[in-house]
Amino acid sequence: MAAGIYLSIPFCRQKCTYCNFASEARAFSALPSYLSALSKEIAQSSARWEQAGLPGYEGAPADSIFMGGGTPGLLNGGQLRNLILSISARFSLEPDAEITIEASPENIGSEGGAERAAEWAAAGVNRVSMGVQSMVERELRAVGRQHTAATVAEACNHLRQAGISNISIDLIAGLPHQTAESWQESLDAALALGVPHLSVYMLEVDENSRLGGELLRAGPRYGAGAVPPEEAIVEFYFHAMARLNSNGYEHYEISNFAQPGRASRHNEKYWTAAPYFGFGVDAHSYDGRHRWANTDSIDSYLQGIESITSIFDEPRALSDTERREERFFLGLRRREGIHLDHRDVENAEMVAQINSCIASGWIERTGGKIRLTNHGVIFSNEVFAGFLGIA
Amino acid sequence: MDSQPFTQEYMDSKYIRNFSIIAHIDHGKSTLADRLLEVTGALAQREMMAQVLDSMDLERERGITIKAHAVRLMYHSKDGHDYQLNLIDTPGHVDFSYEVSRSLAACEGALLVVDASQGVEAQTIANAFLALENNLEMIPVINKIDLPSAEPEMAKQQIEHAIGLPPADAILVSAKSGIGIDEMLEAIVHRIPAPTGSADAPLRALIFDSWFDPYRGVVVLVRVMEGKLTRGTKIRFWSNGQVYVAESLGIFTPKAVAVDELSAGEVGCIAANIKKISDAQTGDTITEDARPAAGPLPGFQEIKPMVFAGLYPVDADNHGPLRDALEKLRLNDSALFYEAENSAALGFGFRCGFLGLLHMEIVQERLEREFDLNLITTAPGVRYRVIHKSGALIEVDNPTKFPEAGDIERVEEPVITATIITQEAYLGGILALLEEKRGAQKKFEYLSATRVILTYDLPLNEVVLDFYDRLKTVSRGYASFDYHLAGYQTAPLVKLDIMVAGEPLDALSMIVHRDFAHERGKIFVEKLRKLIPRQQFEVALQAAIGAKIVARETIHALRKNVIAKCYGGDISRKRKLLEKQKEGKKRMKRVGRIDIPQEAFLAVLKINE
Repeated sequence: MAAGIYLSIPFCRQKCTYCNFASEARAFSALPSYLSALSKEIAQSSARWEQAGLPGYEGAPADSIFMGGGTPGLLNGGQLRNLILSISARFSLEPDAEITIEASPENIGSEGGAERAAEWAAAGVNRVSMGVQSMVERELRAVGRQHTAATVAEACNHLRQAGISNISIDLIAGLPHQTAESWQESLDAALALGVPHLSVYMLEVDENSRLGGELLRAGPRYGAGAVPPEEAIVEFYFHAMARLNSNGYEHYEISNFAQPGRASRHNEKYWTAAPYFGFGVDAHSYDGRHRWANTDSIDSYLQGIESITSIFDEPRALSDTERREERFFLGLRRREGIHLDHRDVENAEMVAQINSCIASGWIERTGGKIRLTNHGVIFSNEVFAGFLGIA
Repeated sequence: MDSQPFTQEYMDSKYIRNFSIIAHIDHGKSTLADRLLEVTGALAQREMMAQVLDSMDLERERGITIKAHAVRLMYHSKDGHDYQLNLIDTPGHVDFSYEVSRSLAACEGALLVVDASQGVEAQTIANAFLALENNLEMIPVINKIDLPSAEPEMAKQQIEHAIGLPPADAILVSAKSGIGIDEMLEAIVHRIPAPTGSADAPLRALIFDSWFDPYRGVVVLVRVMEGKLTRGTKIRFWSNGQVYVAESLGIFTPKAVAVDELSAGEVGCIAANIKKISDAQTGDTITEDARPAAGPLPGFQEIKPMVFAGLYPVDADNHGPLRDALEKLRLNDSALFYEAENSAALGFGFRCGFLGLLHMEIVQERLEREFDLNLITTAPGVRYRVIHKSGALIEVDNPTKFPEAGDIERVEEPVITATIITQEAYLGGILALLEEKRGAQKKFEYLSATRVILTYDLPLNEVVLDFYDRLKTVSRGYASFDYHLAGYQTAPLVKLDIMVAGEPLDALSMIVHRDFAHERGKIFVEKLRKLIPRQQFEVALQAAIGAKIVARETIHALRKNVIAKCYGGDISRKRKLLEKQKEGKKRMKRVGRIDIPQEAFLAVLKINE
């Protein structure tokens, strides 16, 4: 099976208040040395993985590259080309590979954006995932974002002029100041752009983001006092599902919507237990049997590459049970659902769990297949957690 | 070298002196006892362990003595005679005042130790009065006189003022550096009277302590008041009529030494194959079965627990181990009572009775530390007398067994008389606290220009809840407190129930004064609202007196889980999140259809936080 490649670019101009990811808003002076380390890692790791008992990847087929962040949209054409060349030098990159870059709208929607889009296209990028989050200025400013709806529209223009029409937009339900009307406004604006792919998330509240921490302490900073109530966020989400569905978008995974044939090939690998290999800081890998991750500190990463010492934790071989559990908590994210096998059906605890989810209206069953209902999407963690320990 | 011939005159009751040391916590009782052992040669310096009398770890850590012990010392006085000194140690806490009084009843005298910098404290006074009630000769001892902050004159004056002992009688010592110890030993010999009971009379021995020894059964510590106790004699316990053979007799020097006989005036221990510690009750009289005395010694009381609480294992699987652990503790602690109890909210546990709050804490701590149990303790309460409309009286120590309000004629609660000694500067806060706790002032006296003795009557249930902690806070630790039971009083008490989705949480029911019910209920449901996670449906939290709701909160239904981004295929992060969610569910107690986290019970039961 062809693998997906993930390249981590953990730099941002500034950290968004809702971000709980280990990205670092730090001096870009470190970017060039980071990129050369990244190329080195790609060049050396096949041999080093083999030493660690993992499969090497010299000549292995790959059909997607995903550059995630951070803000990879800060890279110029030359830097991108080098990275993609590093990959194609080691992997057998299929000609129609999906090559995605995550970008902020202002990377390509402002001055010089048209040129940058053209450089990306020339380097081989054919898909762009934009962290838009909202089309409403007040909401954007509250979380530390600089763009406007116009920037997003301009970015789309530039990308299309450069020949990149496979565009995805991220939206977040639950931002400070969001109302039913403003949410409608964001959805309308996104739909008006006619992009083939949309991701819709909910605001995550935990100690790792500034806004999340403030909400947990019921403080007033970062617009925490203006975050809509849970009930409203649920309404926003249901509204988005209905509206996107009626506009021809298929809800193919709990947070992702796509026009027919435009589902993200790379993302699907995560949910279908296909192999993917990650390079860079905090990049995760799965070879079909083991999961492992690189260090999440830029300094240790740079040092490790420099001194040729290990930059990843001991790979963990998945147990049979873990694999069976993953079928549920990853597989059920896909709206088409999963097939039950004979071991599921013979397991009394499993049958009880499925029946209890059906009774709660979270799962529906067709023959030997189960899938989340719309209501189940909203309570997906509740559903997934229930399958742990019994699979 | 001692050139005098060795005599056995110290066996003659004329040369016996039985005494205790009474003191407030930290005033130096244990150090003084160590010094006496050392000076009389009972313990060579090199074998000396600090504070040998306090043998349990817990006792040493808390700096208090839980179990009484008795040590026989031989002292060669300046008058040329050899004396037998029996040092009878007493428990050092208010919860054990009955045990203290029985230990004192075994003595003719006591050293009243007062810290030269601290002066008289509440416990000094309480113990001094117990000694006076037992007609003991008291020798005031001012300790720690070598500290720079020592004010022996101040301490002497306070002793005179509070207890009425003349300042000239006081001996100045430093137990730590040995100053004044000789003078103190001479005072013991010359000021404390010899025991008077006749060795020819029928046997009467006072039990003042007992403990369980896995090899010999219950070991009983006695003071022979009259008559003689010989090894092999059939002895009878007065209160229950049980008869045993005194298999072995012994004394402590402090090493255990076997003897053949204990005679009037002497102190020693008996092993008689007694199986249960409750058969040998402190304060009971032992007589000879073949030649019984005419009557028992005065002052015996059955042990009555004063404070009650439910003890539940956090992990339901630990119910068996908790029962075994309580059984083991009970072997050595006749004051600990327990019976199985079943709570809808907390599962299977035990209703336990304790002498007081400290006793409860000690038991709890030993269960957790020595038996590795994780416990939930319900709010401590007291035993009420409920008089039914029918006239019948029942005693209730568990709020869930409180009768319906309509059936109750009146309720009586136990009342204590409390003594508090403090600095004038903290009076404001303390008086306010006593007021809040429904205290009634009996006395207000100045002990010196800046120290005050307060005497108050207080409902015991107000004291057991959070009084100690609050007193410590308002006085910054500069208040000492002691109490004794003073009887019962009628009070408008009601049962406050906490209900979740209409189901009462039995473990949280409590008996409160009607005027406080509303406030308590409000605090409880507010806390619960914050601690119970949202469920799939709306949950009502209510505090109620009978059918009347006095406080209400609502937990809104859980509307969603978060649909979050999966950063770069980090599946282990997703898994951890889900495992945490699942684990959290497991630790919850299910009441009706509501999942309540264990922490909610713990937090709510600590009402003062």
